[in-house]
Amino acid sequence: MPLLKVDGVTCGYGDAEILSNVSMEIGESEIVSIIGPNGAGKSTLMKAVFGLLRPWHGTIGFREREISGLEPYEIVQTGMCYVPQVDNVFTWLTVEENLEIGAYTLTSGGLQERKDTVFELFPRLHERRRQRAGKMSGGERQMVAMGSALMLDPALLLLDEPSAGLAPKMVEHIFDRIVTVNRTGVAIMMVEQNARQSLQMAHRGYVLANGENRVEGTGESLLNDPDVARLYLGG
Amino acid sequence: MAVAQEQADIRLSERIRAAVQTRTMLWSTLAAIFVVWIAVSLAADVSAGRIISLIAWGVMLGGVIGLGGIGLTLTYGVLKFPNFSHGALVSLGAYLTFAVVDLVPNTARIGPFSFGWEFVLGIVIGAPIVGVVCLAIDRVMYRPLRSNNASLVLFAMASLAMAFFVRSIVYMIWSGDFRFYYPGRSSPALDLPLGIRVQADQLFILLLAGVLVAAVYLLLEYTKMGKAMRATANNPELARVRGINTERVIAYTWMMAGALATAGGAMYGLSSQLRPAMGFWLLLPMFAAVIMGSIGNPRGALVGALIIGVATQLSTSLISPAYGPAVAFVLLIITIVIRPQGLLGAPGE
Repeated sequence: MPLLKVDGVTCGYGDAEILSNVSMEIGESEIVSIIGPNGAGKSTLMKAVFGLLRPWHGTIGFREREISGLEPYEIVQTGMCYVPQVDNVFTWLTVEENLEIGAYTLTSGGLQERKDTVFELFPRLHERRRQRAGKMSGGERQMVAMGSALMLDPALLLLDEPSAGLAPKMVEHIFDRIVTVNRTGVAIMMVEQNARQSLQMAHRGYVLANGENRVEGTGESLLNDPDVARLYLGG
Repeated sequence: MAVAQEQADIRLSERIRAAVQTRTMLWSTLAAIFVVWIAVSLAADVSAGRIISLIAWGVMLGGVIGLGGIGLTLTYGVLKFPNFSHGALVSLGAYLTFAVVDLVPNTARIGPFSFGWEFVLGIVIGAPIVGVVCLAIDRVMYRPLRSNNASLVLFAMASLAMAFFVRSIVYMIWSGDFRFYYPGRSSPALDLPLGIRVQADQLFILLLAGVLVAAVYLLLEYTKMGKAMRATANNPELARVRGINTERVIAYTWMMAGALATAGGAMYGLSSQLRPAMGFWLLLPMFAAVIMGSIGNPRGALVGALIIGVATQLSTSLISPAYGPAVAFVLLIITIVIRPQGLLGAPGE
């Protein structure tokens, strides 16, 4: 039984249909990369999974529970966390407060342990924990955003373009952290512009175009697929 | 050539604007106005003692404006619309306190103040009722607008409609007559050092405003709900993503705004008299204070309120008190011209 199962989802904004009949799954501890051209509906798919958009048709199951009608704050409690592409930190709040908000639904205590785990993953955040997130660089903000999403120790982490706008060195660092997180057993669903690099680290990938799934396969097989390479990896 | 000249002009005007539209500029302009006003007053033979007393009274008035203003700035921060019905909530709170003072047997005065414990009880009972009224209005009016992603104008109009609705209810229950918490009873004046004469009640107003503002600050800064409120004000979409039930945050915000409006209304009623439109007249000073102190920033609302309060009282050294609302308006315009972002900046700056 997969961890996440998206089955025939159709949805969009207003009257505009963005996704049509998209299906995909993510297994336990798997990295799945969604690639495709701009406007293919990659981010929309992620928003639908996280309850920010209601699917018009189709079902979304997570840990064998139907979640497509739930609010985001309810989905968070099922063990799934999401890092949006932009505006993904609270700029008025300090790094530490951002992390605490990440653990907002944590009721059983253990806040300090969770913080320590995140600080271990991103030592830079520990150094700057009293700094307002709005005063930090793009790379540091991405660390704050990922760190807050990891505060609840989710089973599945959704990452929307984690490398967008970052310097190559920082991209490498963030990707390295994603693999490290995954090794602790967290499944990862990521959308990436940086398709080649993300497929290299992914166990499996899906190619999305015009709101439909076109190709699916292991990361390696997609990288070696001549059609995928020609159409979506820029040669 | 002409185009290049035009561009140079634009760059120059932007540079001038950047140099002028600063926080320091706004602070110094306000300070200069105060200094000049006091100097002219002294030259016009107003005694220094009177000026100091006016400033002290202005601080008290600032406390009243601040109690209302903090609620206004909180709802603006979380819900992102200017709530024009906030003044009506101030009136409602004042009248609910009046209802309690009217109904229960009155105890003796507390210490030097003009009121007894029933007045305090009135605020304690009135505050949650106004909070619940806010919640009910939100359910009926603003929540449907939110779920339809209505425009700011609709929210503002809806709140204006609510202002008249709530005020009409106050008229229906208590009529339009002036009322006093304690007819014929006056607060004894105290002589403080420096020749300041204030009423004991005014000191109570200032103390209560200070305590409530400190409580709001601590709540926002250190409690879980306070952090959730700041997070929601900062980025509502991300707050939902991080597991915050934003509807619950909104409910708490309304409760706080309603409770603070009640305290402000009761204080205002105590310092003058009760009439259904009292809150409406406080609306402009409250908005001026909130904008001057940077909208969405509770500490800013208090700073702005103190400045507006002192300016309003101080203006009476030379001009008629009837111009009070105009003073707030002039300061609001100065703020908007020099630095629309206000004195303190966003809560995270």
